[in-house]
Amino acid sequence: MDLQRLKPHFPWITLLVLVAFVGITDPNFLKPANLLSLAGDIVPLFIMALGLTFAIYIGGIDLSAQSMANMITVVASVYLASLGLWVAALCIVLGFGLGLLSGFITTRLFVPSFISTLAVGGVCFSVAQWLSGNRALNMDADQRDALFGWMIGRTGIIPNELFIAAALLAICLFIERRTTLGRALKAVGAGELAAAASGLNVTRYKMLAFAISGALAAIAGLLFSVKLSGGAPTIANGFLLPAIVAVLVGGTPLTGGVGGVLNTAIGTMIVAVIRASMLYFGVQATQQQMVFGLVLIVAIALTIDRSKLRTVK
Amino acid sequence: MKRLMTRENAIRWAPLLVLIGLMILFTAINPAFLSQRNFARIAIAAAPALMVAIGVTFIIVMGSIDLSMEGTVGLTAVLFCFVFLATGGTLAAGAWVAVPVILLAGALIGLVNGLVHVKLRIPSFMASLAIGFVGTGAAVLITGGDIVKIDDDTFRALLTWRIAGFPLMVYVVIVMALIAWFIQSHTTLGRNFYAVGGGEELAHASGLNVRRVRILGFVLAGVFYAVAGILQVAKLGQAESVSGANFMFISITSVVVGGVALWGGIGGIWNTVVGVLIVNVINNGMVVIGLPDYLQDGMLGLLVIVAVVLSTDRRSISFVK
Repeated sequence: MDLQRLKPHFPWITLLVLVAFVGITDPNFLKPANLLSLAGDIVPLFIMALGLTFAIYIGGIDLSAQSMANMITVVASVYLASLGLWVAALCIVLGFGLGLLSGFITTRLFVPSFISTLAVGGVCFSVAQWLSGNRALNMDADQRDALFGWMIGRTGIIPNELFIAAALLAICLFIERRTTLGRALKAVGAGELAAAASGLNVTRYKMLAFAISGALAAIAGLLFSVKLSGGAPTIANGFLLPAIVAVLVGGTPLTGGVGGVLNTAIGTMIVAVIRASMLYFGVQATQQQMVFGLVLIVAIALTIDRSKLRTVK
Repeated sequence: MKRLMTRENAIRWAPLLVLIGLMILFTAINPAFLSQRNFARIAIAAAPALMVAIGVTFIIVMGSIDLSMEGTVGLTAVLFCFVFLATGGTLAAGAWVAVPVILLAGALIGLVNGLVHVKLRIPSFMASLAIGFVGTGAAVLITGGDIVKIDDDTFRALLTWRIAGFPLMVYVVIVMALIAWFIQSHTTLGRNFYAVGGGEELAHASGLNVRRVRILGFVLAGVFYAVAGILQVAKLGQAESVSGANFMFISITSVVVGGVALWGGIGGIWNTVVGVLIVNVINNGMVVIGLPDYLQDGMLGLLVIVAVVLSTDRRSISFVK
């Protein structure tokens, strides 16, 4: 058993150790009701991380996810009254389209993805400010409950968000494991030049990866706005860092090619447990960002595949 | 004459022509744009941004990227206020000590940034993004989310004391830009940045300690971010954890719009100066001609994409990540 063979198992071992650690400190933590509500609360973040996984899986990054979710909370709040249930379709199409745009700028115009997604994020921020008039918006509570109430209720003791998360995870897992698209994304992540040389339409698949990332960020924003019954241009700030952390501690390295959406599910749980444990150990909410920043550095350093980087820029 | 329209010439002069064109355009729409008062306004807005942009220029010339500026500026601004208050609260009472202390703190943050990037072999954009998050987090931790105020007329003279209509901080920035230019063109370190950016393996093969140059680049950038942090306090009279907000987007856009190529080795301080002026003239001009200010981030987004596309030699690269 050498370290390399153990490496893929790190994420779930980390998760178990963390859960055991917190559980011993405070047995209340392990109560099913507590664990379930913990999991329910993290779902918007999980959906965003799920999308980011696709961007990182091909060796790129999507820094627009947070601005996208911000914009969607505004869009959902503004158009709920006039569009009803169709507002969900509008949000997803918008996310998919803007993700496609990021992908186009990256692949066709040769702008590195961290710049292109930052730029698209700037556009999202402008749109959000324009639509909202820079105010916090509220949804009509009755209409929200009638149309989207099912998203945030409970079935028995299980929060409904978890069913949404499970459904999206299943779809993403299907795309990753059972479709040509999933295979192609793996090829691009493992070695883009080789993938292109073997006749794969790399450009199209990369654009699709960014589009999926955008669509899932939009769904995260939609769910978040339903939960809060409103939206604002900066309401989802603070999502980006833990979302990236979730993908990386799950075991999808920045260099892409390995890991995947199941890893991100474990990574998100690790993030949730770290958050909860910080509360138990009396770490203030104000310190969380620092902790996650440090966790991010450790996670990248442990997972990154240095054989793919001839020079580290 | 045939060689007048070469790629190098276009990159060198196009940003300046764009700047002049923009100024003519805004003046034509609203003559109030072309007034000394408005220019002073642009200069004040541009001053801290220029310091951040110059810092990141050194990094981009090396072909790396630094996304830590929001955290570094926020943290140094907050630390500056604390040290300033702890050492007397006025420049006359000895609080000037805060300036060298904060420059050192900036260098230290840059050093950590460089060490994480080089020693752990993490791509610079992610290493610096994480350090930036840590910086903002540290600033939140120190302030507890509050605002720290500085009330010293001598220190605020940076904003209030005007020579020829421009506040003192504008002249400080000009001096700092000259220092940056000196480092870039008249020191070994400056030359080495270009050597690394032009071709890292070649630089390494000719015996250059590339890793040391990279780390020193981040240290230098950290010092310039610290200057931006101090100027930000001088401008607003206060600091909080979000004092550095928006600098990431604005500074990188400025550097790229000025003609510094993201791939490294091309462009320099003067490109950045022109780029910062372009971005600030656009931001100011949009307000002057009556466009709503929420368009600015979207505008910056379009600008950075156009600039990267124009500065990329598309035949020489096969793919980007």
